[in-house]
Amino acid sequence: MSDGQEGRDWRDFLVGLCGVTMILFAILTIIYRAGTLDALNTLRDLSPMLLTGSPQWGPLRGGFSTNIQISLWAMAISLCLGFLLGTGLISRYGSIRLPSVFVMNTLRNSPWLVILYAMLYAVPYEIGIGRTTFEISPEVKAIIGLSLPTLANIAEVFRAGIQSIRAGQWEAARSLGYSSGQITRLIILPQALPLMLPNLMTTYAALFIGTSLVVVTGANDLLAVARVVIGSGAEKYATAIYIYILFVYFIFSFPIAIWTRRLERQVRAGK
Amino acid sequence: MIICDIEAKPLVRMNAVLKKFGQLEVLRDISLDVREGEVICIIGPSGSGKSTLLRCINGLIEINQGEITVGDIRVDTLKTERDFIALRHQVAMVFQQFNLFPHRNVIDNITMAPIKVLKQKPEQVRERAMQLLQKVRLVDKAHAFPSQLSGGQQQRVAIVRALAMQPRVILFDEVTSALDPEMVSEVLEVIKDLAKEGMTCILVTHEMRFAREVADRVFFTDRGIIVEHGPPQALFDHPKDERLKEFLMKVL
Repeated sequence: MSDGQEGRDWRDFLVGLCGVTMILFAILTIIYRAGTLDALNTLRDLSPMLLTGSPQWGPLRGGFSTNIQISLWAMAISLCLGFLLGTGLISRYGSIRLPSVFVMNTLRNSPWLVILYAMLYAVPYEIGIGRTTFEISPEVKAIIGLSLPTLANIAEVFRAGIQSIRAGQWEAARSLGYSSGQITRLIILPQALPLMLPNLMTTYAALFIGTSLVVVTGANDLLAVARVVIGSGAEKYATAIYIYILFVYFIFSFPIAIWTRRLERQVRAGK
Repeated sequence: MIICDIEAKPLVRMNAVLKKFGQLEVLRDISLDVREGEVICIIGPSGSGKSTLLRCINGLIEINQGEITVGDIRVDTLKTERDFIALRHQVAMVFQQFNLFPHRNVIDNITMAPIKVLKQKPEQVRERAMQLLQKVRLVDKAHAFPSQLSGGQQQRVAIVRALAMQPRVILFDEVTSALDPEMVSEVLEVIKDLAKEGMTCILVTHEMRFAREVADRVFFTDRGIIVEHGPPQALFDHPKDERLKEFLMKVL
């Protein structure tokens, strides 16, 4: 990896960061004109509420912290189940492969918002097991809803990663006597995982941006908090608040995008 | 060249083997015996089933009919992975594209299978691996990764990897075809040495000079059948079948 390319990453990162910040700020001044300073002050005062769901920066009760938590849980679940479904996609046995392909395609091609609405009605508010009842919070519904399409995407990433390893590797490993499990663990996965990493990160970035949809399940995320705040006296600054939300999403997602690009290049160079 | 004991039981035996891919019969009525210490070369036009034939011998490809035995093992009836491990101890294979594991260094490539599959002691395997690397003059590359080696070096490592399994027979599948011309001889030299030491070798090859020099017997295959076979001098100097004559015209 040459320093030049790494330097270019940093340059792109700073240019993007400053550029987007300036553009959003410009929009803010065009809309609020003389009131821009007041708008900024309001945003500063509302920041703890919007980011943590509580007025004093904690405890974490909602807002952007909820988006991050939902995305992390959904990603963890999707990784486990996605790899499982992905193994199904490359199974030698049609009785496993065909249902897997069907499930993957169904989930992958469903609109996220529709799945989330479906969660709202399909998953009950509480589940009783024996005498105890478990409450299913809107956040849990959001996590399940976002996991479904994401795990399908991850299954595809997994399949593509495994199949990008040349058939000769399987052949050589088999002729040396490795069992299927050993081949997967010792030969294929160590080569395929680095190849999958950029795609997994892209999937996470999409999932993260998708968390803006969870408001429909009733989860107390950034958008939900914003709507409450706007409804309780900050109507005047509604536009400013939405611009702020855009900015927060950008600040979180943009570094992931830059980092992904860098990994992709490293993977290509390592080939 | 090794003088073979004609009475000895063959090490590898294929009897009336049929292999189909879908409707296409890629191997038909293939029968051949290979005795311990023999060097066999299989020649023929591309698409004649040579590589498939090799892969049947070590069970990478299942056959439709016929019998294959290596030593005391019936290859065509092996089912479980555990059954196959015994066969891996007898038959090793070297590939056209080397197929070293790119994420492991040379010594790991060589020692992993004996340690993980044959459950041999790591120190002993390592020591044997270094001796073998010495033989192919690659000791200094023991900790290099495959991508840091030339094609010829990679192929020599692949041969050592096969030898580390201490097999009784090694299958070579066009092992020089992917090499730059100047690297072909270093790989062929290694195979020649093996042959001299009495290792049983079955080679699919396009190197006719090598086949003539090293092989005990040469088999010519075309469209899935063995058309003609015999000692190299007879086959190359006095070919009988028209197809073989035509083939030799093209390649010599």
